[in-house]
Amino acid sequence: MEKKDSRYAMEDSNLWYETYASDQTQHSSEALSSDSDKKFKLIGKHIKRIDGKKIVTGKAPFTQDIKLKGMLIGKILRSPHAKAEVLSIKLDVAKSLSGVKAAILMIRGNIQYAGQMVAAVAAVDEKTADKALELIKVEYKPMPFVVIEEKAREEGSPQVHDKRPNVEQRRGYSRGDVEAGFGKADVVIERTYKTAVEIHQTAETHVSIAKWQGERLTIWDSTQAIHSVRDQLAEVLQIPASRIKVIKQYMGGGFGSKLGLNEQTVAASMLAKETNRPVKVMLTRKANSLCVGNRPSTFQTYKGGVKKDGTITALSLLSHTSGGIRGGDRSSEPMIDVHKCENAKVEDYNIYMNTGPSKPTRAPGLVQGTFGLEGFIEELANEIGMDPLEFRKKNYTTKNRGGTGIPYSSKGLDKAYEIGAKQIGWHKRNKVPGEGKGRIRRGIGMAAGIWWGAGSPGTLADVKLHPDGSVEAVCGTQDIGCGTRTHMAIVTAETLGLEPKDITVKLGNSDYPWAPLSGGSLTTPSVAPALRDAALKAAEHLKGMAASKLKVSASSIVCENFTFQEKGNPKNATPFKEVLGDLSHEIVFHGERKGLPEGYAYNTFGAHFAEVEVDTMTGMIKVIKVVAVHDSGRIINKLTAESQVIGGITQGLSTALFEQRIMDNETGRMVNPNLRDYKIATSMDIPEIVPLFVDSVDPRINILGTKGLGEPPRIPASAVIANSVYNAIGIHIREIPMTPDKVLQALKEKEVAR
Amino acid sequence: MKEFKIAQPKSLDQVTSLLSQKNTDYALMAGGTDLLDEIKNKIIAPEVVIDLKSVPDLSTIKMDKTHVSIDAMTCVADLAENPIIRENFPVLVEAALSLASPQLRNVGTVGGNLCQRPRCWYYRDPDTICRKKGGSRCFALRGRNRYHAIFGGGMCYIVHPSDLAPALISLDAEITINGLEGKKNILRLEDFFTLPQNNVRKENVLEARQVLSEIRIPLPKNGSKSTYYKFKERGTWDFAVVSAAISGVISGGVFRDIKIVCGGLAPIPWRLKKAEDFIKGKNLTEEVIKQGAKEALTDARPLEENTYKMGLVEAVLYTAISSMI
Repeated sequence: MEKKDSRYAMEDSNLWYETYASDQTQHSSEALSSDSDKKFKLIGKHIKRIDGKKIVTGKAPFTQDIKLKGMLIGKILRSPHAKAEVLSIKLDVAKSLSGVKAAILMIRGNIQYAGQMVAAVAAVDEKTADKALELIKVEYKPMPFVVIEEKAREEGSPQVHDKRPNVEQRRGYSRGDVEAGFGKADVVIERTYKTAVEIHQTAETHVSIAKWQGERLTIWDSTQAIHSVRDQLAEVLQIPASRIKVIKQYMGGGFGSKLGLNEQTVAASMLAKETNRPVKVMLTRKANSLCVGNRPSTFQTYKGGVKKDGTITALSLLSHTSGGIRGGDRSSEPMIDVHKCENAKVEDYNIYMNTGPSKPTRAPGLVQGTFGLEGFIEELANEIGMDPLEFRKKNYTTKNRGGTGIPYSSKGLDKAYEIGAKQIGWHKRNKVPGEGKGRIRRGIGMAAGIWWGAGSPGTLADVKLHPDGSVEAVCGTQDIGCGTRTHMAIVTAETLGLEPKDITVKLGNSDYPWAPLSGGSLTTPSVAPALRDAALKAAEHLKGMAASKLKVSASSIVCENFTFQEKGNPKNATPFKEVLGDLSHEIVFHGERKGLPEGYAYNTFGAHFAEVEVDTMTGMIKVIKVVAVHDSGRIINKLTAESQVIGGITQGLSTALFEQRIMDNETGRMVNPNLRDYKIATSMDIPEIVPLFVDSVDPRINILGTKGLGEPPRIPASAVIANSVYNAIGIHIREIPMTPDKVLQALKEKEVAR
Repeated sequence: MKEFKIAQPKSLDQVTSLLSQKNTDYALMAGGTDLLDEIKNKIIAPEVVIDLKSVPDLSTIKMDKTHVSIDAMTCVADLAENPIIRENFPVLVEAALSLASPQLRNVGTVGGNLCQRPRCWYYRDPDTICRKKGGSRCFALRGRNRYHAIFGGGMCYIVHPSDLAPALISLDAEITINGLEGKKNILRLEDFFTLPQNNVRKENVLEARQVLSEIRIPLPKNGSKSTYYKFKERGTWDFAVVSAAISGVISGGVFRDIKIVCGGLAPIPWRLKKAEDFIKGKNLTEEVIKQGAKEALTDARPLEENTYKMGLVEAVLYTAISSMI
């Protein structure tokens, strides 16, 4: 796993993330025994966050809040040019300013995008650091650049990378014979869908604090991946990973932009080394818009063949994607997997341009691909006059690769269709898209989604018992805001017959047992089973100790209500604390998230349904209601799971209606690197959201039967709005964000065509 | 950010005497919601910031027999809640409540809203020196211009960001400007704003060493009606893509008198006189209203990415006027 993490630091494509998220190489030969028949008291219920009060009352220390004694403030100077040769940099004047403790170079080679790091300073306060930045003299020789996808694709446009063409073919995909498939179809259509570059926009901008103590380095970092930051930083600084400790307790969002090492951590570490004092580097909102990643844009052309009975005979996708100076996203996964189809083909290209490097953004590729594919599915269904829900049911498959691969270990998408359709009132939709009358048109649509989210085999967690009766749950995972702390407490408390508040949870420290980065919807299906394993071992040990007290065999003892008691005879019980009191010293139980049985595909699924209103005079789309039904296996905490879904839909709506990075062709700069001009949804834009779960437990994925949920609610959330708009006005807006200008233009074209 | 000194005068006289100090580059700060952003983002770098909030008694709303007067430092939230304003000028209340967010309305002032600087993203980029900042060209003309002007451009294609200004102009408001040595100057708010062709660096005629102190609105005539409709891209905290303030006298289902002033369309609040002329005296059907908008739009010169605003003008006028009948 470490290997893959560091691969990311060197390679320039988001593919590593997909490999990580879908990793199923560490298989175990024996099937896992699942707890599928268990009746739980805590797991699956609505449990409040154990740290909720601390967070909402401002008492939880976020990385930005941390102040160390003697700490300096680091700041980064960035290039205003999209491409330039750096002829000279003069740091002397900045260095000689009173209060400035260090000024260092942070660039090798040419400037590749506007916002790229050039130099860094550390000073006694923010004001002085700011002044120092102004005193650094950089002489640039501007070079030709390209920042617009269409222009980067043109013949003779300025070349972004020396050894690569601006349009570069990526890994493709093929099965069956698409041409033969199209030949068998009654209808063949081709449509192109576009998605804009999206910025992560975390509430807490990126921030790192570095402190050296001799050869040892401690990093406080707002990160989704404490272990990756440690390993990648060790590589960059050329020191052993064993000498680095990375800490992250509370964080204001990452969405992929905080996966692994970021440049401000390197800058803080170097400045701290140079000054021999702790250094904090916090990025501005503008820097956050330019250089910590983004969701690549896509241009997806689908061609599909369908028979009159609804059989899909072939699907092909020609995709172009741009992640700026890095590779883009693979948007073909939904097309390859979700619906039954024997013949499929993907051709995929990167477009390079002089804009900030991409990074995985909550469901990389799948958000874009689902917008494209699920839109196309609606249009195919419409071509043959079939209800799009019936069309999806007709092409349902329980094997991956569109029915040509291995069986899914569990797939509750059919149930999600059923529950969602009922909840939204599917029958109320326009039978013919756009058949409604009047200025305001209503429509109902749906979209399906797939993701991985099986978790990482090899994840470790400990349960520590103390003679005073207290219990620790320890794991080197990180709570990125989704409630990991609470689920760790729930699993441990459930297994030991305690309450979540009785568990002291320790996480967010790279000295703790290994857990994967928090991305790819990995955390819960990695950490919860590992902790369950450790807690079961602890319970086993304690039952052995309680057996003599209760005068029954250990196997007939259960942990419940803070006691060990004889199964079926709760009166024969001994308090939990008393049993622990017999321990002569603390004792630790190690748990592990075991491998995945071979021969199955492990995926999560979801279906969203929405109702929207379109004002045909202004082009404004108003989302009235979204129903989301997810199959993520067993839900550990219903409350935080619902929050996760609401958050995913909020972001998906924002992407569908508002969000886009806007680049200026002439200056090479982003014109909207702030939250005024880069529009995200406000509370006034959020509709009624109904988060629901398919009540299923995967029989073999892990001992809790749980799957991930981080990405899934984000995946169909943009597509479902486009499909609902289609149902409302009879025009498919094939480009997100669906801003009023695009809707008005589409309505105008329809009017003209009439 | 350049460091600055802060001056906290205790009276308007002290303000003007501060202003009379020569060779000092100062900025007047009302609510400060945007001014501080401009300073932090290195768009402006004043040596002295004069904090008008330190002047007492500059936030009163009063009514006499002919006018309502609003002190310039009245905060937007207070304006929206004031019973005199609510009773007489619905357009002003609606405009006030449409702008920014509750937090910003609690701090932002009426005077500050009228004098605020444009949000054009080229103007706001510290690395771009456009005409408004002393450069030689307007980057929006051939650049990214979905939010830019379709009327009154040429030198510069900003749109005036104020929501209160169209409303106040539609109500025939006038303003008082205090200058040096106790001089007071009263002018129509409509004449306060000035096009880039007159002075590309400024959006109004307020001179150096002057301060806007008061806004006066004539009391409405019998049969007066007014409304503000703002089309923005999201539910809250957004500037107008297109907005319309409409005030007039309606009787027998027709406007005897009408004033239409739009936001989001031009470097200044933009009156649609041709629409006014067309609509006045006619029965208010959908066709009449839209034709009125079309008449006005004959003067529009949209840029590559903002043609859609033309359609929105029709939609906004139709929505606003139909809400009045």
